[in-house]
Amino acid sequence: MTMLFLHLVVDGIVTGCAIGLVAATFAYFYSTSGTFHVAHAGVYTFCGYVAWYCTTWGIPFVPSLLIAMGVGALLGVIIQGLLYARLAQIKASPLVMLIGSIGVLTVLQNLAAIFFTPNIIQFEFPWRIANVELGPIFLSVPQLLILILCPLLYVALLLFSSYTALGRQIRAVASNPELAQITHLRPRRMFIYAIAISSAMVAVPGVLVGIDQAMQPYTSLIILLTAVVAVIAGGIGSLTGAFFMSIALSTIQSVSVLLVSGRWSLAVVFVIFIVFILVRPEGLVKRKFSREL
Amino acid sequence: MPLIAKNLIAGYGGKPVLEKVSFTLEDGEILAFFGHNGAGKSTTLKAVLGLIDTIEGEVILNGENIEKMSVDQRLERGMKLLPEGRGVFPDLSVRENIEVVDAVNRKNGRQMISAPDVYELLPVLAERRSSIAGELSGGQQQMLALGIALLGSPKCLLLEEPSVGLQPDLVENLFSKISEVCKHLRVPAILIEHKIVSALKIADKVMIINSGRLVFNGSKQEAEKIDLWNYF
Ligand SMILES: Nc1ncnc2c1ncn2[C@@H]1O[C@H](COP(=O)(O)OP(=O)(O)OP(=O)(O)O)[C@@H](O)[C@H]1O
Ligand SMILES: [Mg+2]
Repeated sequence: MTMLFLHLVVDGIVTGCAIGLVAATFAYFYSTSGTFHVAHAGVYTFCGYVAWYCTTWGIPFVPSLLIAMGVGALLGVIIQGLLYARLAQIKASPLVMLIGSIGVLTVLQNLAAIFFTPNIIQFEFPWRIANVELGPIFLSVPQLLILILCPLLYVALLLFSSYTALGRQIRAVASNPELAQITHLRPRRMFIYAIAISSAMVAVPGVLVGIDQAMQPYTSLIILLTAVVAVIAGGIGSLTGAFFMSIALSTIQSVSVLLVSGRWSLAVVFVIFIVFILVRPEGLVKRKFSREL
Repeated sequence: MPLIAKNLIAGYGGKPVLEKVSFTLEDGEILAFFGHNGAGKSTTLKAVLGLIDTIEGEVILNGENIEKMSVDQRLERGMKLLPEGRGVFPDLSVRENIEVVDAVNRKNGRQMISAPDVYELLPVLAERRSSIAGELSGGQQQMLALGIALLGSPKCLLLEEPSVGLQPDLVENLFSKISEVCKHLRVPAILIEHKIVSALKIADKVMIINSGRLVFNGSKQEAEKIDLWNYF
């Protein structure tokens, strides 16, 4: 029983790290541009397919991952340039932007199905099912990679934000877009950088989760839901809140199968969400001066 | 003549708010700009900076007609706006506030005012360098907003109620800084204010707007001879 519990906790943390990076990058772009970019989940899936496709051509893991990240960045830039920037130009409301984003999500899922395959796919790496023993716990190699790479990228994003000129400029745009415009920070260019960075990063959990489990064009919806709940409950716009809330939610969700049937585990997430909204509506980490929702 | 506006007609959604606003400003001159709420002061500044489209009229900066230019092009020519209320990046530290704007300016070559100049001019910012801007007092935030507006090579300052929320002695302090900068750098400034007496002390010219029409436009000496309140 304790072994099972431990196993579930570890599983939850691993999944939480993957979702955490999805949530943190989602929060990053949202706090910069104010766009509720649900198509982020589409980029996540699409990148997984790109990497899988690369491997079918015999390209090794690392280059495949890098190609997927590059394609992710490109997709993000295209979405911002062709859709969000134009909608913003005609002063579309946040609701219209959201609907546009849902449209892109659907398109990306269908493109993945058309370009690649609508069937469940698996990566052919021999190390996919190899196990690593860490004391009492066993992790698969892809799980171990998630556990290392996702938190690392999250920390890298924080460091980038605080300690590089570009990172600070993006934060300035997030903090006061009107002032950013009149101080010549070119907010629209910063939106492009922000979405490129978020999209390249989200490719990593996209590929790794794809390797660890199997992939289907539409599976990202559950990840998206958990990530969005984590972003809101974690305190809108807070990367730290989003990341750690994802881990917490995902761990609770994983452990909940001890008490309720697995089919209800997503409901557990939403119950936590509702409790949070009632008890602490400003979220786990309160941002002092963030933009209004 | 550094800044000239000729018969500006501008407004929102094609509906004019301003009716033929004209004024001229010489190097280093401060124009105090008064008017009741909703009279069109902010609208005038927006038209000068290009944040709204002008329906008719011209804006000339240092001999160049900038009326058709984008906001970015006007910013590149040294127009600076201190916007009403939110003139700082609240999530960033004071140092970061100044650095981001300084870095953008530096890309376009050597600048008249860079970060060290701002700290020298506004020492309170140097003291609070690592504080988060949103946690500064109202007065300190306005100092920072002024510092941000000054960075670069200002050719024209548009200051929108810089004294908002400040106690009287801080207003005098802020205004004397503004005056010092304008005279020292020979930059013209438009100063929108509700604190009329304080603004008059540093003004060279006075302009009063009422429902989109200029009802007074003259030198400070002329303004002092009349009862300004009749024009509101
Ligand atoms: N974004 C806008 N859209 C439509 N009308 C506007 C807009 N902003 C201002 N107006 C209108 O233009 C007129 C002038 O407004 P403006 O903001 O220039 O006044 P102001 O002199 O700056 O007033 P205050 O002292 O209150 O700041 C007002 O009648 C106002 O209703
Ligand atoms: Mg105003």
